[in-house]
Amino acid sequence: MEESAGERLEQNGMNRFWKWLGAIFGILLAAAFAVLSYMAGSPKDAYGMVRYALPHMHRGTLKVGSDAPDARIVALDGVSRFHIRERTQARPLVLVFGSFT
Amino acid sequence: MGDVVQIYEDYKDHADFLTIYVREAHPTDEWQMKSNVKDDVCYAQPKTLEQRVAIANDFTKRFKFPLPFGIDDMSNAANDAYAAWPERLYIVDESGHIAYRGGMGPFHYTPAEVREWLATRYGAVKHEAPKPPAEAPPAATAGTAAQPAPPPPAPTAAAK
Repeated sequence: MEESAGERLEQNGMNRFWKWLGAIFGILLAAAFAVLSYMAGSPKDAYGMVRYALPHMHRGTLKVGSDAPDARIVALDGVSRFHIRERTQARPLVLVFGSFT
Repeated sequence: MGDVVQIYEDYKDHADFLTIYVREAHPTDEWQMKSNVKDDVCYAQPKTLEQRVAIANDFTKRFKFPLPFGIDDMSNAANDAYAAWPERLYIVDESGHIAYRGGMGPFHYTPAEVREWLATRYGAVKHEAPKPPAEAPPAATAGTAAQPAPPPPAPTAAAK
């Protein structure tokens, strides 16, 4: 069955559309990676950020006024345990979360 | 870290402090930073509680870290509850409610906001600006009037 000229024109138009869309998407992706590389320090660090950091970063749902969640914490001796709640009593409790690296 | 330690020293008579060690941010087997290599802070991501405890002890000993210290267990319960990773600050008030929620580190980790919260309640603690290096006094020449003695440094305001 022969394609009509109109159908060929429509097909060419669609191909062109997808090519442009792909090109724009590629440019945006490259731009995003460039910006991330700049922010992180290098392309390697940008990869590290995307691969390892972003999956673990969450804003969380706590707000000022929320009940402070409790959790069981291990003491430095590696054996004793205590609860965050045990530390919230007569005075405000400043919680400092972090790691060594 | 220095900021938090200074805040602790300034307000430990008014507030309790607790540092909670959570999973590593830049371990050798994930996204290691050059600065960690330079500072010789190279650890793999702990796979066991014993490894976490060992790193936490290395940290407190190396920096003589004075704040009360605890370790999130391998279920990461505290981290998950507080969305704490990689670093974050909170203040819990006496009634057990969140009184201050810091932003996600490192970009929005702001110890100055904790200091401000505490200062609003307990008064600001001012620190003397570091003194500039002493300049050699100009050679006294005959006929030059003696310069008055400089005023004593302003007293440091202690926490109320």
